[in-house]
Amino acid sequence: MDWLELELKRALAPRDPPPGFADRILGRKPGFHARRWMAAAAAVIVIASAGYGYRWRQGLEAKRQVMLAVRIVALKTSHIQAQVKELTR
Amino acid sequence: MIGLERAEQIECDFPELVRRYQAMVFSLAWHFLHDRAVAEEVAQEVFFSLHRNLGSIRSPAHAAFWLRKVTAQRAIDEDRRRRRRPQVALADVPEPAAKASAADPLLGETLRRLVATLAEVPRMVVILRYQEDLEPSEIAELLEIPVATVKSHLQRSLSLLREKLARRGMGER
Repeated sequence: MDWLELELKRALAPRDPPPGFADRILGRKPGFHARRWMAAAAAVIVIASAGYGYRWRQGLEAKRQVMLAVRIVALKTSHIQAQVKELTR
Repeated sequence: MIGLERAEQIECDFPELVRRYQAMVFSLAWHFLHDRAVAEEVAQEVFFSLHRNLGSIRSPAHAAFWLRKVTAQRAIDEDRRRRRRPQVALADVPEPAAKASAADPLLGETLRRLVATLAEVPRMVVILRYQEDLEPSEIAELLEIPVATVKSHLQRSLSLLREKLARRGMGER
C-alpha cells in the first residue's frame, strides 16, 4: 500500500452512527408496525362480526314476531269462519 | 422444524447484529452519500430489510455479506433517486493553507469529499476496498461485476485522486 491508500484507509475508517441509532432501529422494527396493523385489523373484524351477529339476532326476533302474528291472524280467521258457519246454519 | 428453530435463534440475535454492524452499514452509506441524515435513513432501511429477511440469513458472516451488499445497492439507488451530486462540488473543496502533514484531518476530509465526487460504481469500489478492507474478488462478488472491472475502477480512481490532491498541493510526500 502506498501513502494514498493508507490515507484512504484512515479517511474512510468506519465511524459510529449518531447516538441512539441502534435503539431507534430496535424500537421500531418493521414487525412492530405490522403487529399494530394486525391488531387494528383484528379489532375491526371483531367489531364487524359483533355487529353482524347483533343484526342477525334482530332478524331472527323479527321473523319470530311475524310468524307469531301470522299464527294469531290464522287463529282469529278460523274462529271467525266457525262463527259465520254457526250463524248461517 | 429445524429451519424454524434456526430462524428463531437468529431472530433473537437481531439486536446483536444491529449493534455489531451499525458502524459498518452507517459508514458505507455516509462515505458514499456524504450526508449524515440521508446515510442514517438508508442504514435504518437496510436493518429493517435485514429483519424482514432474517429467515434467509445463515450465519453472522452471511449477515455481514448481506448487509454490505444491500447497503451498497440502497446507497446507489438513493444517489440515483435524488439525482444529486455531493453538496460540495469538487471546485468548492477548500484549498489547504499549508501542505498537509501525516494524519492531517484536512487531508482526510478532502479525501472523503474527493471520493464522494467519483462516479457511483468506482466510488462504492473505493469505499468497500478502503473502509471494509475487501479484496477485489470480494468486491466483485458483492457488486456483481467482473474482478477486472473492480481492479480497473480502483486504478483509475486512485490516479484521479492523486491528480486532484496534487493540484491542491496535497500530493505525495
